[in-house]
Amino acid sequence: MAEKVNLSIDGKPCIAEKGQTILSVAAQNGIDIPTLCFMKEYAPYGACGVCVVEAENMPKLLRACSATVSEGMVIHTDSEKVRKVRNIAFELIMSDHDADCLGPCRINCPAHTDCQKYIRQIGEGDFAGAVSTIREKIPLPASIGRVCPHPCETACRRQKVEEPISIAFLKAFAADEIYKKGTKVIPEKAENSGKTVGIIGGGPAGLTAAYYLSLSGHAVTVYDKMPHMGGMLRYGIPEYRLPKAVLDREIEEIENLGVTLVNNFTIGKDATVAQLRAKHDCILIANGAWKSSALRCKGEDLDGVFGGIDFLRAVALGEKPAIGKKTAVVGGGNTAMDACRTAVRLGAEEVSIIYRRTRAEMPAEDIEIKEAEEEGVVFRYLTNPAEILGENGKVTGVKLQVMQLGEPDEKGRRAPVPVEGEFVTLDLDSVIIAVGQKNDPAGFEDLPLTNRGTIAADDKTGLTALDGVFAVGDATNKGASIAIQAIAEAGRTAKAIDAYLCGYEWNYKEPVLSARKESSLDFSDREKMSRAVMPHRSADERKHDFKEVNLGFTPEQAMAEAKRCLECGCHDYGHCRLIHYADKFDIDCKKLDGEYHPCFTEERLVVIERNQNKCILCNNCVRACAATGKELLGLVGRGFTTVIRPECRDETIIAQCTDCLLCAHACPTGALRVLKK
Amino acid sequence: MKLVIGKGSCGIAAGALKIESALKNLLADTACELGIAGCIGMCFLEPIVDIYEHGILLRRLVRVSESDCEAIAQAVKTEDLSLLDRLTVSEEDNSFLEKQTRIALRNCGLIDPENIDAYIAFDGYKALKKVLAKTAEEVIEEIKISGLAGRGGAGFPTWFKWNAARQSAGNEKYLICNADEGDPGAFMDRAVIESDPHALLEGMLIAAYAIGAKEAFVYVRAEYPLAIIRLQKAIRDAEEKGFLGENILGSSFSCHVRIKAGAGAFVCGEETALIESLEGKRGMPRLKPPFPAQKGYEDKPSNINNVETFANVAWIINHGGAAFAAMGTEHSKGTKVFALTGKIKRGGLVEIPMGLTLREVIYDIGGGIRDNKKFKAVQLGGPSGGCIPEELLDTVIDYKALSATGAIMGSGGMVVMDENTCMVNMARFFLDFTTKESCGKCVHCRIGTRRMFEILTRITNGEGQEGDIELLEDLCEGIRGGALCGLGQTAPNPVLTTIRYFRDEYVAHIKEKKCPADECVALRSFAVNKDKCIGCGLCAKKCPVHAITGERKQPHTIDPEKCIKCGVCFTVCPVKAVTKNGGEYNG
Repeated sequence: MAEKVNLSIDGKPCIAEKGQTILSVAAQNGIDIPTLCFMKEYAPYGACGVCVVEAENMPKLLRACSATVSEGMVIHTDSEKVRKVRNIAFELIMSDHDADCLGPCRINCPAHTDCQKYIRQIGEGDFAGAVSTIREKIPLPASIGRVCPHPCETACRRQKVEEPISIAFLKAFAADEIYKKGTKVIPEKAENSGKTVGIIGGGPAGLTAAYYLSLSGHAVTVYDKMPHMGGMLRYGIPEYRLPKAVLDREIEEIENLGVTLVNNFTIGKDATVAQLRAKHDCILIANGAWKSSALRCKGEDLDGVFGGIDFLRAVALGEKPAIGKKTAVVGGGNTAMDACRTAVRLGAEEVSIIYRRTRAEMPAEDIEIKEAEEEGVVFRYLTNPAEILGENGKVTGVKLQVMQLGEPDEKGRRAPVPVEGEFVTLDLDSVIIAVGQKNDPAGFEDLPLTNRGTIAADDKTGLTALDGVFAVGDATNKGASIAIQAIAEAGRTAKAIDAYLCGYEWNYKEPVLSARKESSLDFSDREKMSRAVMPHRSADERKHDFKEVNLGFTPEQAMAEAKRCLECGCHDYGHCRLIHYADKFDIDCKKLDGEYHPCFTEERLVVIERNQNKCILCNNCVRACAATGKELLGLVGRGFTTVIRPECRDETIIAQCTDCLLCAHACPTGALRVLKK
Repeated sequence: MKLVIGKGSCGIAAGALKIESALKNLLADTACELGIAGCIGMCFLEPIVDIYEHGILLRRLVRVSESDCEAIAQAVKTEDLSLLDRLTVSEEDNSFLEKQTRIALRNCGLIDPENIDAYIAFDGYKALKKVLAKTAEEVIEEIKISGLAGRGGAGFPTWFKWNAARQSAGNEKYLICNADEGDPGAFMDRAVIESDPHALLEGMLIAAYAIGAKEAFVYVRAEYPLAIIRLQKAIRDAEEKGFLGENILGSSFSCHVRIKAGAGAFVCGEETALIESLEGKRGMPRLKPPFPAQKGYEDKPSNINNVETFANVAWIINHGGAAFAAMGTEHSKGTKVFALTGKIKRGGLVEIPMGLTLREVIYDIGGGIRDNKKFKAVQLGGPSGGCIPEELLDTVIDYKALSATGAIMGSGGMVVMDENTCMVNMARFFLDFTTKESCGKCVHCRIGTRRMFEILTRITNGEGQEGDIELLEDLCEGIRGGALCGLGQTAPNPVLTTIRYFRDEYVAHIKEKKCPADECVALRSFAVNKDKCIGCGLCAKKCPVHAITGERKQPHTIDPEKCIKCGVCFTVCPVKAVTKNGGEYNG
């Protein structure tokens, strides 16, 4: 029997055998000491320096991987001194780690959808897999794929080669494909929790929360004031962009989970917030922003003036708003585009856009502007309504103030300023004002509001000031935004609600991530491949009806498009020990920003791809290889420029590799990747 | 008469070889003998020729040139040494030696390093004979009494290391001499090996006897070719005489010494990296424990000491540990060798008893600052050390007292800086060194020193940012606590001490974008005062990059984009119309 040693680690008394390292004793006692370069099969190496611990009465910190225990030792693994030295080590490693944990697409998607994964799955023809990946964050892939202004694509690195990947349409494609085949890709529901949740509002946020809460085993009821579910997706987005049959199909999936859908239910009329709260274990408010913002100019109350979303909603409800032959839409956002293109389809002969800046500043999607132009919409840039003119209470035209661009504001957008005394007049039958939308607080008086008039809710959990009352989406905080934003918030709040209902703790924290510096990116060696063009109907054909403009990708087109993906995100994210600890210790990856070690080349050793930029020189691969008796790898160069390479980069040495993969398995980061043979 | 030419590397660099061959020719037909010696330490006076008669030094000729040889030959032939008055060392310069106490350097510059008999004549190998009659424990006890501490820098008690190696289990043990002297400006070990190689060998043999090693290595940097040649000869001669090899001096003690030339990595001065290198591996430090005394070379118990440590050993045995301990302070016994360099009047190798003040070394021995400039700081311990400002010049030379200043005793580099030295740039210089010499193994050193260097570089380039000092301090603390070996752990010292004593210089660089010492070129600026300029065109003519333009008799202007800030315009302007750094005029 080995001699026993008594010691304490973080206040916990431990009994160990003489000769044991602090690291192994800690592990036996459930205390996690970080380490990157330690592998139990091999002798300690001591390079990473993140396993330092403090022993009382010892001036120097000890490396837990190699320091052995002694009688009466009092060890602290998280003292201030330890944190300082350990965190500097992580900060230093991260400062020299020119690597992306996640692709920019995933980071920039408000819901952090794993775009890279589902794009890869589409590329491999696994459309069901792709949908199931998307559904981890978005329960309405076919709808969102059609309407999302795709911040993912805006951030896509492929632009550095030629054009971004068509991420949104790929998403819609995958969903369409499985709906067409009738494949079911819904995860299994958790056991019934016995709890009920009432959701006010059946738009993207409400439906998303309903989906995830239902999967978590809660009984969910969605209350919506409109005759059908879908919210703005149904009543704010025209049929030609999102056919309601597609939306219905997706809502049906949610309903099939057991979610109760209650329509024509108005808060304040059919029930109060308090009543619903009393009825359910908790409630979520996701009632959206359904009021058109006013222009605040003379004549706005005339007959023939419509609010942008009011107009779209009326059309969606099957009404025929009386816009006449000549109409103008005020505004430059996507709602303005939807309104003008809808007006074209209703038979208006002259449709104008009135926008006070120029095309360059226009917030609407480029493709929307382009398609509106193709459909005959006239864009009157640098004009702003001064007064809506009318006779007998009815619109006859608009007096437009001519504008010019002034100094840029703090965001760099140039502010429009009136050109003194210059006006033009436009003869019109109607004016549609699409300059924004806001929430209607009627019925929600019990809830504290922000100074914008929106419902105040915690931006991580969605919790309001009232117990068991959560709120997300357009009605809250910063107000109206895009659908994917509401979906992201609903996804997060679903977790917070589940935690609330089940009584566990959950806090949302943005993960610590490594990201490449723009300056280090070089894709000059990539072969150029054009972005897939979405097949669509011609302007002459489409402008007369509400049938969908886009015709969808063929599987071949989609798979080819998916293969353009650069796969920026690290294949080892998820089991990378480096980022695990960087996240755990909340490391500031940018604090010690400096030059990178000068090696970005990807070198192949038979079936292993070595990414020098991700290598942290822990030497695990070198030792793993040496343990086989081969010693094919070694440290080359000195100091900051040291890299690990096949010794002397000698071809005959490389040829001795037997693909045992021990090196790749020993790597604590994503520096070594096993390629498919 | 005998002429002895100083043929250490310093003497040779100053021209000793030419003088030797000239004197050989001129004195070929005389009875005058020619001999060589190593370095006496007065490097600022090289080449040096000593004139002896019957072993007594008659004259020390300094800064001898080839053209002086004729006069020397004539003086020797006529026996009229007064002809050499102008070459004779001045009393003032000779005072360089007076405050010194030479133990490790006892024979340096006095004996022929290539002749074992010369060493024997100076009590050489007497201590070895003495030791062979004692037990190993008695030898270790004597060293313990002496208080000798490791002279490589850390100052660890020598007897303790010897004893630990002796006590370690196993019959196969190794003794290693660390002669991988790498600090910029340090040359103590080189001088000892070049000037008195047998003193090293005798010390090593005594240590090998004490720990029970049959094999010993001298790990010496390959950049010391002369030291290697002299040591090789010394080993051969000692073997021939029976001081080295099997059954030394008829005893049962056997020991072989081998030389290993290092390939120039600074980190190989760190003992575990040295052992790795000795084993033929990449020079990178090992985790400690286990210490070399338990697992060293080939995982066998090993003891490593520095050259200077060994050079003291024979003297201690001959004179007794107590005599050594009688010198120095409470915590630091004996003497210490320093390589005095920088902006000092008399630079060279000095050995002084512990307990002298820095001021005594710099002013009394070194003669103070060159060109009558103002003293600013002294840097001790090289890249691992720190700088000490004027107000602490009365600090005594003692391991504890020096550590308290933030500097360290170090291996003996002592670099003196004057008012024109920018302390931020000085810290940057050392970090440049460490970041290049970092082996690359541990994160704290590999990336940490690099980041410190980058921050210091941006500060000296006038791109320092608010918070940089704090960031540096943060990094220093982390690196000091986390680096694997001494190189990394001590790398922050130059930064920490300059921040501690010269924080205002950092602040001036960062906030005012000014270098108070006017050393950082990026922070200099030159402009022409239009009211004073007479349009003579001299500055424009002298400007090496044609950055100055102007019509004749009209005020000239400097294009700041082209200006390389060399300052020629400032110096040549006859009417002092060029201003420097926004106001200062020449003279």
